[in-house]
Amino acid sequence: MKLPAPPTEKSFRSPLHHPRVATVIGRWLATAVVICFLTGLYSHFQQHTPGWLHIPSRPAELYRVTQGLHVLSGTIAVPLLVAKLWTVYPKLFAKLPWPPSRKALENVLERGSILVLVAAMALELFIGFLNTLQWYPWPFPFKETHYALAWIIVGALFVHLAVKLPLIRANWRRTSADRTAPAESLPPAITGLTRRGLFRTVAGAATLVGITSVGQSAPALGPIAVLAPRKPNVGPQGLPVNRTAEAAGVTAIDADWRFTVKGPQQLSYTLDDLRTLPQNRSDLPIACVEGWSQGARWEGIRIRDLLQLCGARADSRVRVVSMEKGGFYATSELPPEFAHDPLTLLALRLNGTELALDHGFPARIIAPNRPGVLQTKWVHRLEVIT
Amino acid sequence: MKARLALGAVGVGLGLWGLWLLVDAVQVPALIRLPIWLGGAVFADDAFLVPLTVGIGWLVTRWSIGPDHHRTVGAVRTTLLYVGITTLIAIPLLLRQGKGVNPTVLPRDYLRDWLLLEATIIAAGVVVYVVQRSRFTFKRSRASSGDIGGR
Repeated sequence: MKLPAPPTEKSFRSPLHHPRVATVIGRWLATAVVICFLTGLYSHFQQHTPGWLHIPSRPAELYRVTQGLHVLSGTIAVPLLVAKLWTVYPKLFAKLPWPPSRKALENVLERGSILVLVAAMALELFIGFLNTLQWYPWPFPFKETHYALAWIIVGALFVHLAVKLPLIRANWRRTSADRTAPAESLPPAITGLTRRGLFRTVAGAATLVGITSVGQSAPALGPIAVLAPRKPNVGPQGLPVNRTAEAAGVTAIDADWRFTVKGPQQLSYTLDDLRTLPQNRSDLPIACVEGWSQGARWEGIRIRDLLQLCGARADSRVRVVSMEKGGFYATSELPPEFAHDPLTLLALRLNGTELALDHGFPARIIAPNRPGVLQTKWVHRLEVIT
Repeated sequence: MKARLALGAVGVGLGLWGLWLLVDAVQVPALIRLPIWLGGAVFADDAFLVPLTVGIGWLVTRWSIGPDHHRTVGAVRTTLLYVGITTLIAIPLLLRQGKGVNPTVLPRDYLRDWLLLEATIIAAGVVVYVVQRSRFTFKRSRASSGDIGGR
């Protein structure tokens, strides 16, 4: 028995495996990648702020929007990547030029760059999506790998654009074939799908995936977010939790619990003392790095009032120390812009009742325009850094 | 040509920066296993996902050659594609539900919601299919009765 011959580039007869289609879908995918990369970079700098960078504390909802966009653009990129790979799939079976020549070398390099691009992007989207489920079945650290792969993707994308620039230029503009199928191939009455039809279908798939998942960041669409790992109103006090008290190793507080401020003067308060200090209200969202967000009403003491009480300068930087055992986020730092913002609170209450233990009881930080991981919970000490 | 060289050089630079970040931050035992995962991602796409799409597309196109099928093949193809892509995204949710320690992660009944979503997509596909068919049948009956262009 003779095995069927392996496919070649010519085996794929649909006229939709065409550079024009690849250019258009590539444009969409590149838009998603750029949005995802820039919003991701913003999130990275929020968590690892270099000395030269000053992130403003307003607009208060900025991080909510950027991180929602980060996860949304990454999710939408899944159907776009599949469509792009489908379009260029016949290229995978193209013969390598032989004998070795300059052209053959270029071809090998080009394929190498595409291999890097596809591998990095597919893995990046996969681990990014699984991270939103808090599922880490791989042997490498998520955050560092996700960040490094992002740079590799952008680099490989530049190389890809450099290689394909003439082809992109030639196919950038709409052609008559975008309305009808090319004459030399099967008519659309038989294949059923014109280029325009394909674009519409792919755009529809991306929209469908977007609409069924964006509800974790936009609570109005929460009820139909059937593909989102979070529901913005599910959790204690109507708010999801990222790290539970149990996972953080925090149980109820002792009777001799004290909240201390280490600054020019040392302050020490019992929980009842904290409750008698001037209370303020902030309507601020919790916006998680994993993309979900939900607005909430917080009540507590302004950090800048505490700074004033301990005699610290208004432009002080503050280290926030949690009772959390270990973990990356047991401490955080409030840069001066955030410490001084009147919306930034040491919150004691959430949505009208005392903080639940999972939300950081007895006291937590809530500040505008910050990732949830820096809204430190179970706070028992502030240290003024001058 | 200069623009291309510049783009390429910037790309290589950024890629090397990413590689350095990786080598710097990830421990060696994890680093040597990373290529397996990268290769796995390519394999999943190029040896499974895309061939599956190509194969189903080929079957649908073959089916569309049948009598009248080309009128409704769009609805069939789009429905299959939407069912496929939403299922792909739903798979991790379905696999992971109820396994984590945090009850606010994956709080839905994802199996029910996935079935509802697919049922909705298929129902919408059927509606489009029926409308497209009836439109075609209507046109044909008008044509055969000499109703078109007669007045």
